[in-house]
Amino acid sequence: MMQTERSRGFSRVAWASALGSFALVLGPTALAAQEAAEAEGGNPLFTVNFALTIWTIVVFALLLVILKKFAWGQILDSAKAREDRIQNALDEAAKLQAEAAVLLEQHRAQLADARRQAQEIVNEGKTAGERVRKDIEEKARTEGQALIERARKEIEREKDSALDEIRKESVDLAMAVATRLIKEKLDPEKDRKLVVGYLEEIGRRDNSAAGGKRA
Amino acid sequence: MSSLAGVPSLVAAQEAAEHAAEGGAVNLGELIMHHLADSHEIELPFFLGVLHLPTGWNVNLGPLGVVDFAPTKHVVFMLLAAVLCLLVFIPLAGKARRLEPGKAPAGVGGGMEAMILYFRDEIVRKNISHGADAYVPYILTLFFFILFMNLLGLVPWGSSATGNVSVTMALALCTLALVELSGMQALGVKGYLHTIFFVPEGMPALGAAPITLLLAPVEFVGKLTKPFALTIRLFANMMAGHVLIFALGGLVVTMGAIGAGTVAGGIGATALATFVMVLEVVVAFLQAGIFALLTSVFVGLIRHAH
Repeated sequence: MMQTERSRGFSRVAWASALGSFALVLGPTALAAQEAAEAEGGNPLFTVNFALTIWTIVVFALLLVILKKFAWGQILDSAKAREDRIQNALDEAAKLQAEAAVLLEQHRAQLADARRQAQEIVNEGKTAGERVRKDIEEKARTEGQALIERARKEIEREKDSALDEIRKESVDLAMAVATRLIKEKLDPEKDRKLVVGYLEEIGRRDNSAAGGKRA
Repeated sequence: MSSLAGVPSLVAAQEAAEHAAEGGAVNLGELIMHHLADSHEIELPFFLGVLHLPTGWNVNLGPLGVVDFAPTKHVVFMLLAAVLCLLVFIPLAGKARRLEPGKAPAGVGGGMEAMILYFRDEIVRKNISHGADAYVPYILTLFFFILFMNLLGLVPWGSSATGNVSVTMALALCTLALVELSGMQALGVKGYLHTIFFVPEGMPALGAAPITLLLAPVEFVGKLTKPFALTIRLFANMMAGHVLIFALGGLVVTMGAIGAGTVAGGIGATALATFVMVLEVVVAFLQAGIFALLTSVFVGLIRHAH
């Protein structure tokens, strides 16, 4: 910064005086060259013309000052402004792209998370369903088992009562037959006891036989 | 292109023919010299005659003697080049200023802008690293001023001021002034003096002194050879091209004068002149660019001399 400040102050004074002083230094040399060439009758193409040199320096200096003030400044400034604008736009675009990339990454992560959660929910549902199914099956099986058991007990009971019935019937039947056969010879009460005792013995044998078969 | 290119050679041919008709021998060398040298007369376009410029703007410069500052042909064409620069770049600047910030630039001005930015980025900034932008206006003015002067020599009835050694020397002296002043500004007075009086480091004073004294003239002459080379390069390039074009145009007349003229020879010479003319357009750009490039190289060199 200090450099440019100094250079500006330096150049303002220096440029004008420098061009002038160089022209003055040039003057005698140019004139001498011109006179020498003319004296020798040299080629006018290679002769330095002092006036023309001064004309050139003046025209060039004026052109430089005018163009610097009215042309180069604006043209270069507008080019600079445009470059800055384009650079800013590019920087902005790069920033936005980076942001978009971050957002995309976030979205991807969210999406993956959501997918994973959905999968979990489905899995949970599946296991819960499985459990429920197993429970129901188990229940049905035990209930069925209980039903079968009850039916079996019923059958057993029915069978026992049927057997008792048959026993009673057969006692009566046997009594009737025996009464008819040996009515006169025997005391009915004594005979009855005998027959009943005999039948009970048979019944016990039957019962033990039936129990062994069922097991 | 060919019709434009043909015209200066035709002018030369016509004058040679006039000379021949007047009974004088055709002196082609004299004719070419007449066209290249500065004068107080300007040939007006379309054979409107000759414009006589004023003379005798004598100024007494005391010890330097009396100098005639009357504008010559080359001064007129130099002024024309300067006016052309103003006519091209001031409207361009106006356009650049009026351009709305959000809008893309368009139009022919973009071509000029491309050249301007090329010089800023590739010539000035590459050669003068820091503080380069301060030199951009000088280099741009130098390039376009020289370019327009070069190109004016290729226009029919035109004349290029850069084909005159006084003009190129003046421009080279401006470059010399710029280079040396930049050196003083960047290095300080002591640093600048070191660019003339080179003091080798790490040597005892007794050994360093002769080297410094011995090298001082070499360094000083080195400073002057740069602008000298610039002067001769631009002047010689521009003059040589014109000599060649005029010589090829004059070839037609010369061949006719010695009785060796054929239609094929005339067409061949004209075609060759056309080709040289195209080459000259390239040279006009090239030499203007080289002058500007070397100026920035010299500035860069002295600013970074340590």
